[in-house]
Amino acid sequence: MAAITPVRRRNLLTDRRARDEAIIAYLFISPYLLITLIFTIGVVLFAIYISFTNFDLFTAPQWVGLENYVRAFNEGKFVRSLVNTLWYVAIVVPAQTSIALLLAVILNVKVRGSQFFRTIFYAPSVTSSVAITLIFWWLYLKTGFLNFFLAQILGPLGFTPVDWLEDARGLFQIIIRAFGGNIPSDFWYLRGPSITWLAIMFQNIFTTSPTFMIMFLAALQEIPPTLYEAASIDGATGRDQFWKITLPMLRPVILLVVVLGTIGTWLVFDQVAILTAGGPLDTTLTPVFLIYTEALGKSGPPRAGFAAAMAFMLAAIIFAFTIVQRRFIERGTESY
Amino acid sequence: MKNKLLLISVSLLLAGLVLVGCGGGGASPAATTAPSGGGTQATSAPVATNAPAATTAPSGGGTTAGKIQAEDGATIVFSGWGDQTEQKVYRDSIARFNKTYPNVKVDYQPIPDKFQDKLKASMAAGTAPDVFYVDNQLMTAFAPSGKIAPLDESMKQVGVKREDFIPQLLTIFTSNGKTYALPKDWGTLGLVYLPEAFQAAGIAEPTPDWKWDDVKKAADAISKTGKFKGFCQNAEFPRFAVWAFENGATVASDDYKTAKVDTPEMKQAAQFVADMVKSGSLVKPKDVGAGWCGEAIGKKLVGFTYEGGWMVNFMNENYKDVKWKAIELPGGPKGKADYIFTNGIGVNAASKFPKAATAFALYLTSRENFAEIAKTGFAYSPYLDQQALVPDPNSAQIAKGGSYPGSHAEYWGPNTGKVQDALGKALERIYAGDATVDEAFKQAQTEVQAALSQ
Repeated sequence: MAAITPVRRRNLLTDRRARDEAIIAYLFISPYLLITLIFTIGVVLFAIYISFTNFDLFTAPQWVGLENYVRAFNEGKFVRSLVNTLWYVAIVVPAQTSIALLLAVILNVKVRGSQFFRTIFYAPSVTSSVAITLIFWWLYLKTGFLNFFLAQILGPLGFTPVDWLEDARGLFQIIIRAFGGNIPSDFWYLRGPSITWLAIMFQNIFTTSPTFMIMFLAALQEIPPTLYEAASIDGATGRDQFWKITLPMLRPVILLVVVLGTIGTWLVFDQVAILTAGGPLDTTLTPVFLIYTEALGKSGPPRAGFAAAMAFMLAAIIFAFTIVQRRFIERGTESY
Repeated sequence: MKNKLLLISVSLLLAGLVLVGCGGGGASPAATTAPSGGGTQATSAPVATNAPAATTAPSGGGTTAGKIQAEDGATIVFSGWGDQTEQKVYRDSIARFNKTYPNVKVDYQPIPDKFQDKLKASMAAGTAPDVFYVDNQLMTAFAPSGKIAPLDESMKQVGVKREDFIPQLLTIFTSNGKTYALPKDWGTLGLVYLPEAFQAAGIAEPTPDWKWDDVKKAADAISKTGKFKGFCQNAEFPRFAVWAFENGATVASDDYKTAKVDTPEMKQAAQFVADMVKSGSLVKPKDVGAGWCGEAIGKKLVGFTYEGGWMVNFMNENYKDVKWKAIELPGGPKGKADYIFTNGIGVNAASKFPKAATAFALYLTSRENFAEIAKTGFAYSPYLDQQALVPDPNSAQIAKGGSYPGSHAEYWGPNTGKVQDALGKALERIYAGDATVDEAFKQAQTEVQAALSQ
């Protein structure tokens, strides 16, 4: 093999050929570049600007400084949506990551029909999110399948149908109530995720796990079999091999899956828009849904500036989460 | 979920920023093109102020005093929501309009889905239709920024007075004493019931002199049959409003500045409903497996409910064989009062053909046109003197709600949506037993006040 020579940086000012090449290269990417500049970077810059104004889509924006950012915390709904989403992230991300990993490990075993199961497991992820959400709507109806099914099994234990899409009771609230206590509505943040929110989480886990399963499956097949052979010669059990070889080798993919999962959960929108519109009692309100209603003025004058401010705070939160996760998971990789 | 797939190909950080940016500034791409450009167009002469005096002979309508001189060869775009039935009503209206104004071409572009979003985006981009439906959301978005034109001058010219209309209907479309749209139709609530449920319970069908207690008794009796649930009503203000108004309650002061939610009148009404919820005689549509109470009637799941004239078409199309009836609302402690819903038709202030557009909007909402529309049973006429024109007997019963003095339009200022949202939450809490009536309306008072002062 020839030694790899480092690419020498040629001077664009003196080297004519290099200059021509660069110009041609830029020409080739210009359609994409132009579109990105106008429709992505331009829009983001404009959104940054309007987040400091009282822009309502129709009248000329007026500079209001940080007012929108302060208002987001004073008006309560934004905080509420953040707390809701924290629950969502805390439950959905670990659940979907571990389920995806489990499915991938199972499917990685070469047995007859594994291709078939791969296709079946992956089906929810390639189905339109709106279609899946509508199917879940049918399942979750008070007179729907889920309640019917549960009543068949748990009926003798005194199961009463649950309003899966309209039950605002929080998880912890239900537990406390079972012991005769109560969490007043002033302390809504202690009530935990509502039944409805949990129902939506379940749907999200169901639809996104297979996407990540495919990523894990690809990564699993990249792990050199020699590692496992060597380990089994050394007497490592299957379980040892999973914890000591599979998991460490998957760290980069786990990082990817967790980061993508976190971003996706912070941006959850379509399930909420279709199933609950943020209700009951704002327990499924998410930042993106709130931003959408405010930007378009669904229940009052459009407040595009306010919406943009919330969008940037959300971006900052996601950015912070991503950095923390990166540090956390990458630090683990170094020791191997 | 597609977001995630997309993200893989893009660098993580940038993708996060971009997606959030998109989510936030949903309408900003359009907005960048015309952040303030619309303003210059809007300053063009207000509609018809300089129009020649109406010296031309009045049109065949007889009731119209004058005619607006439309620009020759004008082409105007007209948009609204609506299903096939509604679209036919407006195609027919356009044909009638063209008999009077053969030189104006109307390009009808219905937008059945997400009408308000699309209209706001096109208005921000400067490509909005010349004439379009206006609801309280669009009124709130367009009137303060001068995007829709006041119609008062033109109304004078054609001889339409504000007093000709059912007074509550114009409250939505009035801002700073000017009229920005005229009602295209209106609706209200009546008592809608299944006669067979009353038969099964062995009680008499509702009569116009019914009171609240009769409602309660009937709901109890019907739910005891086991075959039907009693009275259907969702935890939302646009239905609960009937109880509130019939007990003399209101939501806000007349200037929509002060919340008046935490009042004995409101709470008594809520308590009455809460008791019915508790006893099981009042159910939500979801409890019985229906999307809304009208559907619960169609599926024969409940005995009765409060719904509007839209039941006629709904039942004809979906439950043709189900026998149902409607009668005017039962009376409360302070008599009868109803909630009135309405949408209007307005004119784009930046229209290239302002006179043609105004002439068209005024024709659509004219007595002459409503005389035809009302005959079809599609909509009630907003004119006081055309109230006898409702052909369907059930629909005619429901329409009586429009003339109770205590009736109120569904409008509480620019933040009507937020106000009703807060009240709906109070009702949800009460229905779910999460709060007492006192607690729920104390909180609602704060929230409604916050919405009103926004």
